[in-house]
Amino acid sequence: MPDDMQDRLKALAEAARTDISNAQNAQQLEALKGRFLGKKGELAAVLGSMGKLAPEERKAVGEIANKVKGEVEQLLATAQTRLEDAALEEELKGPKLDVTLPGRAAQFGRRHPVSQTLEDIVRVFSRLGFEVYSGPEIELDWYNFEALNVPADHPARDMQDTFYVDATWLPKGVGPVVLRTHTSPVQIRTMLAHKPPLRGVMPGRVYRKDSDQTHTPMFHQVEGLLVDEKVTFAELKGTLAAFAKAFFGASTKTRFRPSFFPFTEPSAEVDVSCVFCSGKGCRVCKHTGWLEVLGSGMVHPNVFKHAGYDASKVTGSAFGMGVERLAMLRYGIDDLRTMFENDARFLAQF
Amino acid sequence: MRISLKWLKDYVALPASVDELASRLTMAGLEIEGIERPAEALKGVVVARILESEKHPNADKLSVTKIDFGGAAPLQVVCGAKNYKVGDKVPLATVGTKLPNGVEIKQAPLRGVDSHGMLCSSKELGITEESSGLLILHADAKVGQPIAEALGLDDVVFTVNVTPNRADALSHLGIAREVATLFNVPLKKPEVKLAESATEASTKITIRIDDPERCWRYAARVIEGVTVKPSPQWMQDRLKAAGMRGINNLVDITNYVLLEYGQPLHAFDLDRIGGAQIVVRTAKGGEKLTTLDAKERALHADDLLICDRDTPLVLAGVMGGASSEVTEKTTRVLLECATFQPTTVRRSSKRHALHTESSHRFERGTDINVVPEVLDRTAALIAELGGGTVLKGRVDVFPAPKPARQVTLRTQKVADVLGVVVPAADCHRILASLGFKKLSGDDVTATFEVPSVRVDVSIEEDLVEEIARVRGFDAIPEALPRGLSELEPERPAMRVERLIRGAMAGQGVDEVVNYSFVSPAELAAFSAGEGAIAVGNPLSVEQAVMRTTLFPSLVQNVIRASRHQTQGVRFYEWARSYSPDQSGGKGAVPVAKEVLEVAGVVWGMRHGQRTWTAKDAEADYFDARAIVESTLRALHIEGVTTESFESPWYHPRSATLVRKGQTVLGTLGELHPRVMKKLDAPAGIVLFQLNVEALQSVSVLVPQAKGLSKFPAVLRDLAVVVPAEMQSEAVRQVILEVGRPLVEDAQVFDVYSGHQVGAGRKNLAYALRYRSPEKTLTDTEVTEAHDKIVAEVTRRLGGALRA
Repeated sequence: MPDDMQDRLKALAEAARTDISNAQNAQQLEALKGRFLGKKGELAAVLGSMGKLAPEERKAVGEIANKVKGEVEQLLATAQTRLEDAALEEELKGPKLDVTLPGRAAQFGRRHPVSQTLEDIVRVFSRLGFEVYSGPEIELDWYNFEALNVPADHPARDMQDTFYVDATWLPKGVGPVVLRTHTSPVQIRTMLAHKPPLRGVMPGRVYRKDSDQTHTPMFHQVEGLLVDEKVTFAELKGTLAAFAKAFFGASTKTRFRPSFFPFTEPSAEVDVSCVFCSGKGCRVCKHTGWLEVLGSGMVHPNVFKHAGYDASKVTGSAFGMGVERLAMLRYGIDDLRTMFENDARFLAQF
Repeated sequence: MRISLKWLKDYVALPASVDELASRLTMAGLEIEGIERPAEALKGVVVARILESEKHPNADKLSVTKIDFGGAAPLQVVCGAKNYKVGDKVPLATVGTKLPNGVEIKQAPLRGVDSHGMLCSSKELGITEESSGLLILHADAKVGQPIAEALGLDDVVFTVNVTPNRADALSHLGIAREVATLFNVPLKKPEVKLAESATEASTKITIRIDDPERCWRYAARVIEGVTVKPSPQWMQDRLKAAGMRGINNLVDITNYVLLEYGQPLHAFDLDRIGGAQIVVRTAKGGEKLTTLDAKERALHADDLLICDRDTPLVLAGVMGGASSEVTEKTTRVLLECATFQPTTVRRSSKRHALHTESSHRFERGTDINVVPEVLDRTAALIAELGGGTVLKGRVDVFPAPKPARQVTLRTQKVADVLGVVVPAADCHRILASLGFKKLSGDDVTATFEVPSVRVDVSIEEDLVEEIARVRGFDAIPEALPRGLSELEPERPAMRVERLIRGAMAGQGVDEVVNYSFVSPAELAAFSAGEGAIAVGNPLSVEQAVMRTTLFPSLVQNVIRASRHQTQGVRFYEWARSYSPDQSGGKGAVPVAKEVLEVAGVVWGMRHGQRTWTAKDAEADYFDARAIVESTLRALHIEGVTTESFESPWYHPRSATLVRKGQTVLGTLGELHPRVMKKLDAPAGIVLFQLNVEALQSVSVLVPQAKGLSKFPAVLRDLAVVVPAEMQSEAVRQVILEVGRPLVEDAQVFDVYSGHQVGAGRKNLAYALRYRSPEKTLTDTEVTEAHDKIVAEVTRRLGGALRA
């Protein structure tokens, strides 16, 4: 009765086409898969009765059965895809996250504007081959003044109001002791410890007895020192002009004005074109177009003498800058004192 | 220093505009910090004469005046003042004038009567702070003359910032000399016409210098028959422009010459000098002097004095004394002009806190050779403006005249220092214009005599500076330094700083920068004041001692934050703490121990405020601990142990010492409640502190990669109930030791104490990671190892495995 079996297979295929394409969800599809292809399913039932057929009939029916099986599998796979797509569509249409809620609080620490500025300054000089050196803040008067050609009772001492320290722990004759008024004593210590040539920057805290809107009793300086055979003032100009461009911007101009520092000869104040008005003149530069940012000069022979260098063999240039001043210019801070109040709202801005 | 340009013109023709002059001086090292132009503010105000004055028809307090201001016809001006009479000369602000106080003069009716300008008071002109009524001008003021001229305000005044080396520039002549050099124009010195009487001055006074170390020259003149009276207006105007006040002709003349030459002078009433004798000596024990500021000063053995036979008259170079000062009755004057050792004057000035125009110049150094000229100039002015006769000759004691300094200049040295070749001819011309006399030499080397006014010049480099300065630094090219010095590897200290700061940023810790000094009370609150280094002359008690720990500052930062309603902070500071070093000061050893620390504080809400993901996240000990651990991880420091310890500033329950082997790396803990109370600090402060040098000594700056196992890990949890006081690390160490080599890692993931585990006990849960580098572990192998660990933990630590 092969015809009967063929009809049963046709009916099976027909039912599968209708029912599978009507399946609404994964469970229904799973049930349909069992119904048609399961061990006790309809196809199995048809195949189970094939034993009664003649071998050639069996072969023909078998071919049809395989075809039907293949079609049902195909139908199931198509339906599966259809249902998954539909489910995904449904999910994609679902409720949205509140995308305006802030992220799970992240940790992000900021560096103090002074320390950022100091790092930036040092980085520029590092590119120019300057090493970093440091020295003590509580310093012998000799390193802070005498060795820098500022003898006792010299009017140049008035340029820096000094904090003194009662160094009662020291043996008699050692001292006096001061809080260093500038980073320049590190020059002396560095020269005493290293032979020329020398190319270094010396950043750190310094202290002066002064307190108002533009002075705090503690601030930071970066000192620079370059010693070699025939170091020239022209090189000092070039170095500081390069620094000014690197730090303030490529169009920055520099201007060197004769001045006086006991430890350099000649000495120069260095002005840069005003970073706010590009030199046109504004309130910050007091309408001069220039901002005074650096002191510099050629190392005085007496300084070399104290540092054990032979002034007839080497020359040197030196410079120094106030980090807070540069930080104020860079970040537009107008009251120096806010730097050391460490208000969380202030610190969060940088 | 204030310089009047009107005055300056006596000595040099001003060859450029005011602005150009200022710019040239600035660029030559005499910085012009300010330019005052009082006349500009008074533009439009002229001298006017009141011709008529009548009552205002509609206002009792006002008058209607007719005034002559030099115009074609008289003007009608309404006026509110009463202090004038017809015929007086007063300032008139014409229509269109903008007064210094901002008032703009408009033609407008005042109570129905037209007013064509405004008659002014001195306050309205910005000349005085207060005034009552109109400024009545001198009768010989010219009608129509600009008021600035009539008042002697038609001047321009420079404020010059004279650096301490330029003693030579502390006068109008000094600035004139500079202008003459810069613009290559002649300098005109004051003409001295002195008529002397036949009587020798030396018959009236004897002078003795007992201390020639401190007094290098003392010269005097005697003027008799002087009348003390106000000095003429022009002199008072000039003194005023220079910032001094007119007193009487004698005092004004000495001040005038001081501002002219930069050489201080002193006028004595000769009749008040005991024994007609001047003795220059240092103070004797117990001596006192009442100075011109009416203060009695106890003198020091180092103070140099000008005395008469018996008593001190003047604190030399600093200030005169009351007992010999000139008064209205003075007729016989002893005029002193001297040179003192600069350091002596400076010490006296500092010691007595007396900074004067005189001490300012003496301590910088005065021109010893100009003394006779200045003395003659001053005597001539006294004779001219105060009457009187100048006696014959100077009494001049000059114990040890020194030859002029000589300095040799090598032309090559100029090029070596400046980096630009300056021809010898240019160098020598510049020096000559500054008064340096070429004694010998050629284009290669030449020797110069230093003018005595240039006390700052003594070496070759000084000459190079003069040449560079006068040519202008702009004339020197820019060059980059030749050849890089050999690059060294980055210093470990730099790398460590970078890594630590990175860890701080990663943990959300903001950096603060505090002063290095704090109040003794703050340190005492931390029991950290013992032996702290005191500042000898602090600005305030809040800044009186150097920090022995950074914590007082950090706690202050928290107090400030809490006052400003900040709800939480995480701060760190990178700075040194200071303590005396008994062996310091020898050779290059610093005098104090300066220990670089990174110290921090955690307080309040973990993220600075409540957040929707962590509503009650109050930071605690473990937040601070995480910062410390991150830092150690950043530096690849392994095998660190932590333990409780005793500390005056941490709460005993959480005081933690962090060590690697014997090296103490730092500490952390909650702020001790007693310290908190003493400082009135908010609760919940946790502090940490790490020694940077110690961290560096055990850090691994360049970690080496290890091979990764190809085999999978097996994760097992282990929970154990132990006595409550047992430290979790002890349990962990047992797990790692017993589990070796299969246990790769063990981390606590739960700590529980409560009724379920019983009183005095707690449950610790660990996540164990098993792995072999050689093979995939079987379940049996892991179970066997795990059971062994459980057994050992239970046996060694008195724990019990939790079901």
